[in-house]
Amino acid sequence: MTKVPADQPGGLACVRARVLIESYVDGDLAATDPDLASRMKLHLAGCEDCRRQHEQAVSLPFRLKALRAPVPPASLLGNVMNAVRPARVESRRAWTLLIPEAALVAFIVWYLSGLEGLASVASGTVSDLQVLLNWGVGAAQPPSIPVADVFLLAALIALAITAAYHLSILSRMGAPSLRERRRA
Amino acid sequence: MHAQAAAGPLAMSGPPDVAVIKAGQLVRQATGGDLEAFEELVRRLQRQVYGFAFQHLRDFAEAQDLTQEIFVKLYRNLARFDSSRPFEPWFWKLATNTTINYRRKRVPAPTDQELDQAAEPAGKSQHDPTLVDALAQLDPAYRLPILLHYYADLSLEQVAASLGVTLPAVKSRLHRARAILRNSLAELDESSR
Repeated sequence: MTKVPADQPGGLACVRARVLIESYVDGDLAATDPDLASRMKLHLAGCEDCRRQHEQAVSLPFRLKALRAPVPPASLLGNVMNAVRPARVESRRAWTLLIPEAALVAFIVWYLSGLEGLASVASGTVSDLQVLLNWGVGAAQPPSIPVADVFLLAALIALAITAAYHLSILSRMGAPSLRERRRA
Repeated sequence: MHAQAAAGPLAMSGPPDVAVIKAGQLVRQATGGDLEAFEELVRRLQRQVYGFAFQHLRDFAEAQDLTQEIFVKLYRNLARFDSSRPFEPWFWKLATNTTINYRRKRVPAPTDQELDQAAEPAGKSQHDPTLVDALAQLDPAYRLPILLHYYADLSLEQVAASLGVTLPAVKSRLHRARAILRNSLAELDESSR
């Protein structure tokens, strides 16, 4: 059991009283140990040094609350908004990459003239392949390819190449880090 | 009391309840992609967040950098905010985590000389330079709950949630922090006499 110093006010040593000051100020000590809180009150009444510490402890929360915030720099808001905006702009820019593909698809659809055109192209392709096969085994003359089909083939090849290229770009585009955005 | 007070700084005028609704509306609009709403939210919070960052880092440039990082993180995480719950505790938890990570990653512990240099311009704008200096000397583990409770005006429960610790742990840290501050203030007062 702790020895109570009889010569100290409230029977409480200063070193012990100072550890309890914050708990006493908040009212926690009175709630958990009313007897100790009473002794603390007596100690503060009889000890000038601890009373000064108590006064400091009472005023501290008010002083902390009264601390004023420094004025933020005028550029802060703009910097935040600039750091936030690029993500949307970049995603919009990414979509513009697909404009050539869209143009090529539009051309092909226009050329095929819908489903009927698609069906005729499919049957034509099959017959062309048969002619090519016969030509390969020496049973027929080399096939004649219409100029329009050459355009279609070129458009399909261009579409495949540009789509592959743009997809590779888009797959590499991750969300840039804050540091990268700041550098930008 | 603190929950209402926490919403107070968000409003330029009007009663606290209206301020809460307005802040909530801004968050909802910003979540829907309204950049103007987000800008208004930043405008209202920036002074408090910048002050929090500065009191923690004691460096104007670093405080600006951290404040910016907190708001960018807020924007990226808006979709995760549950609008049925109050905004302030959620926001300050995000701000606290960002601050802890920021300090861990980027800021070496300042030397006393650096602290003095940083404190010099701050002293001019602070009305209680002795307390600001004492706060600067406080260990970050004690400074964060102090700033969240007394500066950002969060309740003890909200501070506990922000720091991911129990309520008794927060009380204990606050008592210890205030005792350290009290001793530092007494020493600073004695040395200035």
